Amino acid sequence: MYNYIPLKSRFSWADVVMLACVGGLIYAVIGVAQHWTGKFQPTLAIDLSPWALPRYSFFSLTRALVGYTISLAFTVVYGYVAAKLRRSEAVLIPFLDILQSIPVFGFLPGLVIGLMSLFPNSNLGLEIACVVMLATGQAWNMTFSFYHSLKGVPKDLVEATSVMRLNWFQRLLRLELPFSAVGLAWNSLMSMAGGWFFLTVCESFTLEDRQFHLPGIGSYMAVAIERGNHAAMFYGIVAMCAVIVFVDFVIWRPVLAWVQKFQMEETESHEAYRLPFVMSLLSESRLLSRMRAWRSRRRRERKLKRAMKRFRKGSRKPAPSSLLRGDPLFALASSHLAGEGTLSDPLQPLELQKEDAFDGGEEDGGKFVRLGRYLRRHADDFIELGAKLLPPVAVLLTLWGGTRVWELIRTLTLEDWKQIWRGVGFTGVRVFGAVALSSLWTIPFGVYVGLSPRLTRLFQPIVQIAASFPAPMLYPLVLTVMFKFGIGIRWGSMFLMFFGVQWYVLFNVLAGASSIPRDLKDGFAMMGAGTLARWKRLYLPSIFPYLGTGWVTAAGGAWNACIVAEYIQYNRETLIAPGIGAMICRTTAAADFPRLAGCIIAMVIVVVVLNRTLWHRICELGETRFR
Amino acid sequence: MEKSILELRGVDHVFTMGMGQKMKVLSDVNVSLYQDEIVAILGPSGSGKSTCLRILAGLLRPTDGQVLIQGETFGGPNPLVSMVFQSFALLPWLTVFENIVLALEPFDLSRNDERSRVRRVIDLVGLEGFEEAYPKELSGGMKQRVGIARALVMERPVMCLDEPFTSLDVLTAETLRAEVLKLWLSKKTATKTLVLITHNISEAALLAKRILVMGTNPGHIRVTIKNDLPYPRDEKTLGFKNLVDRIHDVITQAIIPDQPEWVPPAAAGGVIETVPPVAVPEVIGLLEFIAGRGGQADVFGLTQMLGKDFGHVLFLVKTAELFDFVDTPKNHIVLTDFGKRFIEGDVNVRKRILHEVLRGLRLAQLLEQRLRDAENYTLSFDSVIEGVKEWLPNENAEAVLDALIQWGRYGELFGYNGDTKMIYLDVGQENA
Repeated sequence: MYNYIPLKSRFSWADVVMLACVGGLIYAVIGVAQHWTGKFQPTLAIDLSPWALPRYSFFSLTRALVGYTISLAFTVVYGYVAAKLRRSEAVLIPFLDILQSIPVFGFLPGLVIGLMSLFPNSNLGLEIACVVMLATGQAWNMTFSFYHSLKGVPKDLVEATSVMRLNWFQRLLRLELPFSAVGLAWNSLMSMAGGWFFLTVCESFTLEDRQFHLPGIGSYMAVAIERGNHAAMFYGIVAMCAVIVFVDFVIWRPVLAWVQKFQMEETESHEAYRLPFVMSLLSESRLLSRMRAWRSRRRRERKLKRAMKRFRKGSRKPAPSSLLRGDPLFALASSHLAGEGTLSDPLQPLELQKEDAFDGGEEDGGKFVRLGRYLRRHADDFIELGAKLLPPVAVLLTLWGGTRVWELIRTLTLEDWKQIWRGVGFTGVRVFGAVALSSLWTIPFGVYVGLSPRLTRLFQPIVQIAASFPAPMLYPLVLTVMFKFGIGIRWGSMFLMFFGVQWYVLFNVLAGASSIPRDLKDGFAMMGAGTLARWKRLYLPSIFPYLGTGWVTAAGGAWNACIVAEYIQYNRETLIAPGIGAMICRTTAAADFPRLAGCIIAMVIVVVVLNRTLWHRICELGETRFR
Repeated sequence: MEKSILELRGVDHVFTMGMGQKMKVLSDVNVSLYQDEIVAILGPSGSGKSTCLRILAGLLRPTDGQVLIQGETFGGPNPLVSMVFQSFALLPWLTVFENIVLALEPFDLSRNDERSRVRRVIDLVGLEGFEEAYPKELSGGMKQRVGIARALVMERPVMCLDEPFTSLDVLTAETLRAEVLKLWLSKKTATKTLVLITHNISEAALLAKRILVMGTNPGHIRVTIKNDLPYPRDEKTLGFKNLVDRIHDVITQAIIPDQPEWVPPAAAGGVIETVPPVAVPEVIGLLEFIAGRGGQADVFGLTQMLGKDFGHVLFLVKTAELFDFVDTPKNHIVLTDFGKRFIEGDVNVRKRILHEVLRGLRLAQLLEQRLRDAENYTLSFDSVIEGVKEWLPNENAEAVLDALIQWGRYGELFGYNGDTKMIYLDVGQENA
């Protein structure tokens, strides 16, 4: 590929923007590094001036991105192991189900106390704890998506790569990751939103009666809400919006456009992402095109040099493999290949086989190169070993964890448990209420928009950004309105949950409605079916399977959101709605670990049982009856 | 005798279905492959052709028996075998060039070496100019060329082709078939042996030196037919026609033997005849078709005219014969008087006749008896399936019951509620 290099205008506006970006990035990275390694300051005073916000925004963004990177790494490793090691699946998938139903405060005390004792003198411990907490809001749905993708790779493609004898890594890189890319990209978008949702509680929290504030928009908003500073709240919301729009434009749009390449079939949806802004910016840049031209010239020169060297040596024959010479099977294979020979063929017969790719001579290479070669050659043995070791290790870990938790909750009295279960009951009612409320407006709206491709194209990016906005930052606004109407916090917290989870239902209704085939719509129109009949016979049955997915996700989100919806510090007072979420917040703040463990166990049990029974049944009904 | 390259010895294969149900798909299969030959595996669907090929390629480990490379066993995918798929199996995110070069990735080759190897196979299959195209931009024929090029570039001695021309339109298939043959005849490739799965008899006769005809239940090799006609073969020659007729005869014998192995159901005490898994309208269509041609047809002509898989047409004929609608002397199908009455009647007449015929079937009788004994004349699908397994231990119980319910519904013998998965006796007719 030769690039056209313009001679006259050396720089374009795109170059100016790019250079500014690079400069800003370098400055910002230094800032973050200084803070992370800086002197430990847990109760940082948050500056509520709007001028502090750019810096805070960047800190929060960095945390979210680092958290996302951790989530992605976790996803690839965990999903791969769960899908590939047959026996591990039975342990890892239910465990993932449990993990995703633990609210973020379940991880908080352990992480913060542990990491702070690891890094007593710098901010690093606290920062890592915050990043990992953010990751716990991001990782799980990505992991599920990756696992399901891995399970769903078409059989013929798997067979084709097996016949080629690609090793596990080559297969992951060429087949499995590309096949999972579309699902991973859309789930990454959702994960990022999930991370933002808990930004306020991850950046500023109370543990053992100590207040922790990390510099970031989350803390800024938390402090602004607590003090009832309306101007600061407004600035915070604007900054958050800016960050979300920025991430959407700079990361998600290019990523979603790029993963189109990995779609199994050409589909017409998501067309809005065809020419993302950032991509056109990059292609505009003259500087980049010059760099590319320079690089390709260097490559050509290197190639020429290599060719000359080979020519002088007078040989192009590859060294035969030392490893395989003794192997009768491969000797046979190569004798067949070499035997009659491939006439008119200047090339050497292919005789190097699989293992051989790692066999460029035993002697050369340093210690690490040789270690790497050894590991790769025995990758399958290690995987086998892992598969054998995993179940006993899992059992031991479960036993150990079980006894630790048992020691914690042994002290709880019957009265404590009664309280906990009552809390779960209250919260459960709110969860179902929030899901019902979401369905109430999203079904008509989603169907109306989803039926028209034009409206869908118009609304989808808007909904995408709106859904990414963390609802807790809007809670003061919602509360103010609610108090005006005389709704107390008991019911109000249900509305707060609703604000967070409505998007899950809306997304799915939109997807369902836009998937209704045209001929069905036309058929109903020709029959002259009334509105009621259309809803009953066409729209509702068509969206039901999607609605099921939406409900499951929304209910899961609502359970997790109870910790921010039932316990709110607003305008220098604390609003508490009776429920399991409020109990978790209070026990965390008071470092009452036995009760905290009890609350979380109760919640996990309820969520997992509901998932396995009610929601599972609804999804199954959607799959079998209405597909 | 020349030494074989690759050998299947005493191969059995059993699939474990859901709920621990086991199904034997291959029984005692023995195949030897030699250099410089094309072997076709021919058989109706369900005869385990595909399983056989996958065992050969090392993608499946046989339940019993061995795959041997000159007397030695091996683990994992077979190092001597490359494969071409019916569905092409190309990675949609890679270009033609990248798809082919992927097969070289396990080898530590230089860029230049890779490039020239890929160039060469692209040249051989006629894909020049399409190196940078993505699979979705290509027609079916071009896609399969990429599939073949990808198999060739691996330079394995044996190439397995799993119905490689089935997904292509007739003309493209014919062109590509001729090209593959030409390529093999030219001996320009390292691949010397082709193993081809097909259900197209003339395709097998055109290409293969040996044709392995497979039978069903469980899959096994019925006959091996040698084909020494010189290449390139002409479909119009007498020798070719004779060969095709012979293959036809063998397959027909496999599915509808002249000497019925089964006893007419009415007289049957112990033998229970299965219901072939075909749809009611298809059988009626077949009868209509025969009636429209003076009540007579021959099986091959029928297959050609219906444009369907030969094995499938035979199943249809077998079903019609089971109900005494047709007779099958040799390769001919003759409508019986009973069949005429059925086809000339209106829907209600047809239903009544089918009702009577079904009541004469042992399997239907057994099910009816069970339903009569049951509360409300109703049983769940799952409980009936247990019975079917007892009655027909060698069949795929679910497929049989599905077919039986379908026929029973049409003949108003049984009813079935798909939501509750309950089978009930259709008492409407009796009350009326």
